[in-house]
Amino acid sequence: MAQKIILDPVTRIEGHLRIDTRVDNGQVIEAWSKGEMFRGFEALLKGRDPLDAPVITQRICGVCPVSHAIASCKAIEAANDLRVPANGHLLRTLVLAANYLQSHILHFYHLSALDFVQVEALLDYAGRDPVLLDLRHWAQGELNSNRVLPVAPFLPKLPGDYPGNREWNLGALGHYVEALDIRQEAHRMAALLGGKIPHTATLVPGGLTLLPEAALLEDFRTRLRRVKRFIENCYIPDLLLAARLFPAYAETGRGVERYLSYGAFDEAGGSWMPAGTVRHEGYAPLDLSLIREETHASFYRGNLQESPQAAAAPVPQPDKPGAYSWLKAPRYDGLSYEVGPLARLKVAAAAGHRPIAQALAAFLREAGLPEHKLASTLGRHAARALEALLIAERMERWLDQVDPAAPAIAPHNNRMTGTGVGLVEAPRGALGHWITLAAGRIGSYQCVVPSTWNFSPRGQGQDPGPVEAALQGTPVNPDFQGLEVARVVRSFDPCIACAVH
Amino acid sequence: MKLTRRTFLKDAGLLLASLGLEPSLLPRMADALEEMASGRAPILWLQGLSCSGCSVSLLNSESPGPADLITRYLSLYFHQTLSAATGAAAKDAVETAIAKGGYILVVEGAVPLGVKEACKFADENFSEQLLRAARSAQAVVCTGTCAAFGGIPAAPPNLTGAAGVGAALKQAGLARPLINLPGCPTHPAWLVGTLLQVLKSGLPELDELQRPTRFFGQLLHEQCPLFAQYQKKHFAQALGEDGCLFKLGCQGVVTQADCSLRGWNGGVNWCIRGRSICIGCARPEFALDPQFAFFRLNENDLL
Repeated sequence: MAQKIILDPVTRIEGHLRIDTRVDNGQVIEAWSKGEMFRGFEALLKGRDPLDAPVITQRICGVCPVSHAIASCKAIEAANDLRVPANGHLLRTLVLAANYLQSHILHFYHLSALDFVQVEALLDYAGRDPVLLDLRHWAQGELNSNRVLPVAPFLPKLPGDYPGNREWNLGALGHYVEALDIRQEAHRMAALLGGKIPHTATLVPGGLTLLPEAALLEDFRTRLRRVKRFIENCYIPDLLLAARLFPAYAETGRGVERYLSYGAFDEAGGSWMPAGTVRHEGYAPLDLSLIREETHASFYRGNLQESPQAAAAPVPQPDKPGAYSWLKAPRYDGLSYEVGPLARLKVAAAAGHRPIAQALAAFLREAGLPEHKLASTLGRHAARALEALLIAERMERWLDQVDPAAPAIAPHNNRMTGTGVGLVEAPRGALGHWITLAAGRIGSYQCVVPSTWNFSPRGQGQDPGPVEAALQGTPVNPDFQGLEVARVVRSFDPCIACAVH
Repeated sequence: MKLTRRTFLKDAGLLLASLGLEPSLLPRMADALEEMASGRAPILWLQGLSCSGCSVSLLNSESPGPADLITRYLSLYFHQTLSAATGAAAKDAVETAIAKGGYILVVEGAVPLGVKEACKFADENFSEQLLRAARSAQAVVCTGTCAAFGGIPAAPPNLTGAAGVGAALKQAGLARPLINLPGCPTHPAWLVGTLLQVLKSGLPELDELQRPTRFFGQLLHEQCPLFAQYQKKHFAQALGEDGCLFKLGCQGVVTQADCSLRGWNGGVNWCIRGRSICIGCARPEFALDPQFAFFRLNENDLL
């Protein structure tokens, strides 16, 4: 008999997400992804000064503000024909990359790992690691106290099939603590060039306001090496161990198997990771004119199917019949697409980027993950970890290319008319900002955001979004109250403040 | 030090008095107050119309760092981004905390008072959850400009009717000790400093906008390293130039915050050292006037 499992709220993500599933015979038959928070950024940008846009849009998201700042700057630069100097592109790329590292590390250790870790393993820890001894002492003290919620925020948790492997449990908990320091270090790197973070100050249309002095760049490099060592010696080995321990999660979360990337990390001569789409037929170049946002299942007035260049700000209608989410439903050529690290690597490999394709193949071999199982819950975590490593390795080259004596910003021309699109890859996937400028003010603004793609509700044709599709077939034990569902959902690294905005 | 129940209740009574709360609340809040007397601040953290930037900022706390905060200084009863509890377990954790009461309620994000469905948690509108949680709190800390004053979600046309937490509580006729920590995001030292102050010695000194004077008592401009350039009238005329940034739109002259002394992200940088302007993110008016552009690149004749 069919039953419902509802996860409300999904925590350890950014924002307000609810997942409803219909379950039959121990499997998810159907799923609904429900974004539960709306602010109205596109409406409030209209009529403002164009240079307000990067300031305001990066505040869509406290986890990936850099991506929004860059997309917004690029949209204005396209509209105004501002030519960013080489230093400007490189420094932006470095700030973006630093924030990728903090975001991917945060996602693995602090947001996702607890779904797979037996926290109680701490209590009989008998080794000599000072971090773990400290944690054990703390947790025991908590359990012996009359605290209202002992060992919070690690407990309580959903019941489930947490593993007994001590190496994994203790490694993940010890590295949870270390990763707190490391992601913070990555944020210091982003602040060195971005002014501060969350929400940067130096990223403006035309480039960056700061002068990239040599000492600043070497400070950045020293911190980068510390973060990179953690990725090499903790994140990658932990991921490989997880791949051995949880083979069942290479069988769940397959998804729509259509992937889209706008191309990531601007370098001289284009983006490092290529843009494009991948489906069964193979790679195809990107065609922005194929993007529409549909609102049939969304809490907005009208059943629309709009190009982001032409769309007006959405009008909320929370009682709209048939609607169930504050997210819109982006479609490319009428179909939902997955975005994110997995999509970026798939697109890069399919586009013939040999170094990335080879690194991916080697990593999958090491993880014991056949290529056809990359499209899975585990595969998404693997793609994110490998991407973190590849970026950390690439960053020193970008640092070397910065010219400490040259400016990082283009002179402004105050034209402030026209239309522009700014595309960037955020940690969670393809991000686009569309702007029209009229009489020196913002005429219209549209953001199509990574988690909007991934957590899309049903579109015009009642076709499920990528996460809704990925949940179909997930085996669930009703006693676990949706733990398996949460594991699949988190592999997409949801950011709902972004997705709705 | 092992506390006896008796000395604890005496201390807790003093603590309640220092927060301006009724002694009759003591039995209800006893467990949470006992946590405080043992050196830990019980925290219930809720998110409204937010970007989670203040949560990320909390993780950027330098000293004490995040691991010490979580295990030694705070009891994070619930935090949407950090709690292991998800789904039903998350809802239960929040309800357990509210039933026990006595925690410091930290709110991140604005409150949609118009379109109430614009923010939901466990099938309940956030605006209602907030009131239930605030009723059982010993104090409410509004972290970030959104929670304090509405912030960007409240900018016109404000489709959701977003407002700060203080305004939402006032509309509901609910009086609680309330501290506003604006900033977009709030600086981790402002948040952690305030929580530790409440933990160790009660409510800090607040100004008329409920902001701790220790952090928000002076204009950013007055302590700015570019103050001398301002006095010499050496102004940057275009983005990326040296000089005081006043003519480019810097709001340090009207923003009360101690960024110029403190720096951000462990002091490695901050907006003005990066030669960008202060956008006034800690001002109560932040982002609310669409006509008041952050950058003023064409208005170089002001002085």
